[in-house]
Amino acid sequence: MTATHSEPIVDGATPTAPGTTGGTSAPGTRRTGAEALVATLERVGVEHIFGLPGGAVLPLYDALYGAEGIRHILVRHEQGAGHAAEGYAMATGRVGVCMATSGPGATNLVTPLANAYMDSTPMVAITGNVASSAIGSDAFQEADIRSISMPVTKHSFLVTRPEEIAATVASAFHLARSGRPGPVLVDVTKDALTAIADESLLQLPMPGYRAPAQPAPEEVRDAVELMLGASRPVLYVGGGTVHAGASEELRTLAELTGIPVVTTLMARGAFPDSHPQHMGMPGMHGSVSGVATLQKSDLIISLGARFDDRVTGAKSTFAPGATIIHADIDPAEIGKNFPTAVGLVGDARATIAELSSEWIRRTSAGAAPDYDAWVARCQEWKRRYPLGYEAPPSGALAPQYVIERLGRLVGPDAVYASGVGQHQMWASQYVGYERPRHWINSGGLGTMGYAVPAAMGAKVALPDTTVWAIDGDGCFQMTNQELATCAVEGIPIKVAVINNAALGMVKQWQALFYSERFSASQLPSKQVPDFVGLAQALGCVGLRCDTPEDVDRTIEAAMEVDDQPVVVDFRVCKDAMVWPMVPAGTSNDDIQHARDLTPDFGEDE
Amino acid sequence: MTLLHDYPPPGPPVPTAPTAYRPAPPTQPPHSPAPKGTPMNANPSPNRHALSVLVENNPGVLARVSVLFARRNFNIDHLVVGPTEDSKVSRMTIVVNVSSEQLHKVTSQLDKLVEVIHIEELADADAIRTQLWAINDNGPRPVGAMAAAAF
Ligand SMILES: Cc1cc2nc3c(=O)[nH]c(=O)nc-3n(C[C@H](O)[C@H](O)[C@H](O)COP(=O)(O)OP(=O)(O)OC[C@H]3O[C@@H](n4cnc5c(N)ncnc54)[C@H](O)[C@@H]3O)c2cc1C
Ligand SMILES: Cc1ncc(C[n+]2csc(CCOP(=O)(O)OP(=O)(O)O)c2C)c(N)n1
Repeated sequence: MTATHSEPIVDGATPTAPGTTGGTSAPGTRRTGAEALVATLERVGVEHIFGLPGGAVLPLYDALYGAEGIRHILVRHEQGAGHAAEGYAMATGRVGVCMATSGPGATNLVTPLANAYMDSTPMVAITGNVASSAIGSDAFQEADIRSISMPVTKHSFLVTRPEEIAATVASAFHLARSGRPGPVLVDVTKDALTAIADESLLQLPMPGYRAPAQPAPEEVRDAVELMLGASRPVLYVGGGTVHAGASEELRTLAELTGIPVVTTLMARGAFPDSHPQHMGMPGMHGSVSGVATLQKSDLIISLGARFDDRVTGAKSTFAPGATIIHADIDPAEIGKNFPTAVGLVGDARATIAELSSEWIRRTSAGAAPDYDAWVARCQEWKRRYPLGYEAPPSGALAPQYVIERLGRLVGPDAVYASGVGQHQMWASQYVGYERPRHWINSGGLGTMGYAVPAAMGAKVALPDTTVWAIDGDGCFQMTNQELATCAVEGIPIKVAVINNAALGMVKQWQALFYSERFSASQLPSKQVPDFVGLAQALGCVGLRCDTPEDVDRTIEAAMEVDDQPVVVDFRVCKDAMVWPMVPAGTSNDDIQHARDLTPDFGEDE
Repeated sequence: MTLLHDYPPPGPPVPTAPTAYRPAPPTQPPHSPAPKGTPMNANPSPNRHALSVLVENNPGVLARVSVLFARRNFNIDHLVVGPTEDSKVSRMTIVVNVSSEQLHKVTSQLDKLVEVIHIEELADADAIRTQLWAINDNGPRPVGAMAAAAF
């Protein structure tokens, strides 16, 4: 039985299939589209959904009401639901799920979708839409989210027929997690949710979607040939190694070959920071050794990284002496930004393991590369130009010190989620990451407001792990409403607000490149809002810290609370800047390790 | 840069199509209609490429392909969409003006679209463009249309 409409429905209201209450069918009858959807979520293993209901998804929420295996977390804003699903996915590698109603609910998900698309985060977003007969009529809360989300999703579906719901939802999960992970949107019309679902399909055919390739053995041989012939190689490690779960394989390859390693912002933790071969992060705010190792190399072995402009600096001057081996699961990444000598298309874990086997085969047959001079040079950069910061005026609190102490006292077992700005860079530099999936941030889109909801998602996924959000006072004001969700739903995250009373990253650029004309970049966040009061109002513990002497004590006090979310307002000095820096659009050669100080890289060979 | 060998390998990327979807070789129409109006720049261009793209015949698929071209900053010269003998599959014939290096970017991004089943580069892009131009040139004259619309 399918619902048929004899009259056009213009207000988005839908008839209810006979024998149903809207979303759920009467006992003994066949199930509704909404029930089919929920059953499919259960079938693909979904345990948590972040969402917020509305008219178009009421049938779905009705079906969810009875679902035993799924916990729905009611957020305060759909953007929070989206970022929470991302944090959940980034912390575990599982597909994060968010849900919203039609129109504004759906459009509120656009930012998280775009964010997940840029960072290759596996996520499924489920939205309701007006009844299929009302589509195109500018019905109440109608938005063409399938089209709106096209350029920011791996794929987007609009489902108008109840019998296609199960197949589409199952396919969405397959798309989100296979190959290059990414967000997939499933928009379902209200009538499809309420009608009886006669399922004919379990999975859509998708004849154009191909399983990822494996690198050809001759490509692996060519890559190792280049590695053996190089004198200044570097392993340029990106987020793809995290998605692939390839940290063990990476460590084996690095230790076998002795090649220095750099990890991008998305790969912090994929290779231990404490490892002697780790030269740090490359890029705009990378370490001097990280930037120099990449820039001066003669062979870049890219493993799940995508040659982002934050890393390469001015393209024309990037690593002028380097040949590129590019391993990525997405064939379209290979050669996208730079010509590539060898492309290895496939999952990073398998690819790296194959590189190691081929390396062992060649070296046991007598091949003996010599990287000693190069490694010594890299180590010298690392020794001479460690990360560091100027002491602030006496009594003032340095933001870097707060983050350094947090990393030290809390340790590498915790998960750290950050917002976007100076605090994000300091969090990447000073916490110290030893394992993958312990650093969660918005790299590609740079979405302010990511930290609190992403930390919430991570904490839901890993309830026994300490989760800290490291946030800016600007970012925090974008999404802190989710602390109410955390308080009510029992998700005790901790938030360190690095309160410099500014949109600090913007202010830093204005200080450096716009003659200190601080246009619209200063915030009165040391007066308004009162973050401690705000935290308390949201059901959290609020703490404040103004001086270096209080930092450890405050962090310890925050660590003692485990039944409530905690917010610490660290009121730091307002003029600190992020160093090193490769100013946007300039060459990596022009890196400054402190203001107007350019390191001496020594003679090029 | 030392290149061991080019990646992608030289030559147009020709993925194998499921036999059912293999496109028929382009047939020559009996006569070429003489262009009526706008003169076409008939110079052959080494950068002109014609792609035959088989896509799932789903609502929104044309939008998805167009959005991809817009988002990746590729320019479409000509675009024709039509049915195939399989009602679930449509064919898009797309003429683009890009270098061969760019062409690889176009096809590898297109190939990622879930609804794109098969991509093939057609041999004589210039001739295809001439045909499309002739078909396209039946409508109102564009001369002055923009100016007229402004008043
Ligand atoms: C304020 C700010 C400053 C920044 N500064 C820096 C900086 O200094 N340094 C820096 O590095 N970044 C910086 N970034 C981040 C930067 O914008 C990019 O997000 C980042 O460099 C991209 O990281 P990635 O190359 O590891 O690629 P990701 O975005 O993580 O992409 C992963 C790649 O791996 C591939 N992949 C996915 N799964 C697999 C798999 N299973 N196997 C193989 N491949 C796979 C994907 O196809 C993709 O190409 C900054 C961002 C902000 C907001
Ligand atoms: C949604 C959004 N709007 C604007 C920006 C531009 N932007 C990048 S960093 C930044 C400042 C962030 O300020 P804050 O959260 O206080 O962090 P800080 O840099 O001071 O550590 C801004 C406005 C952005 N990345 N995201």
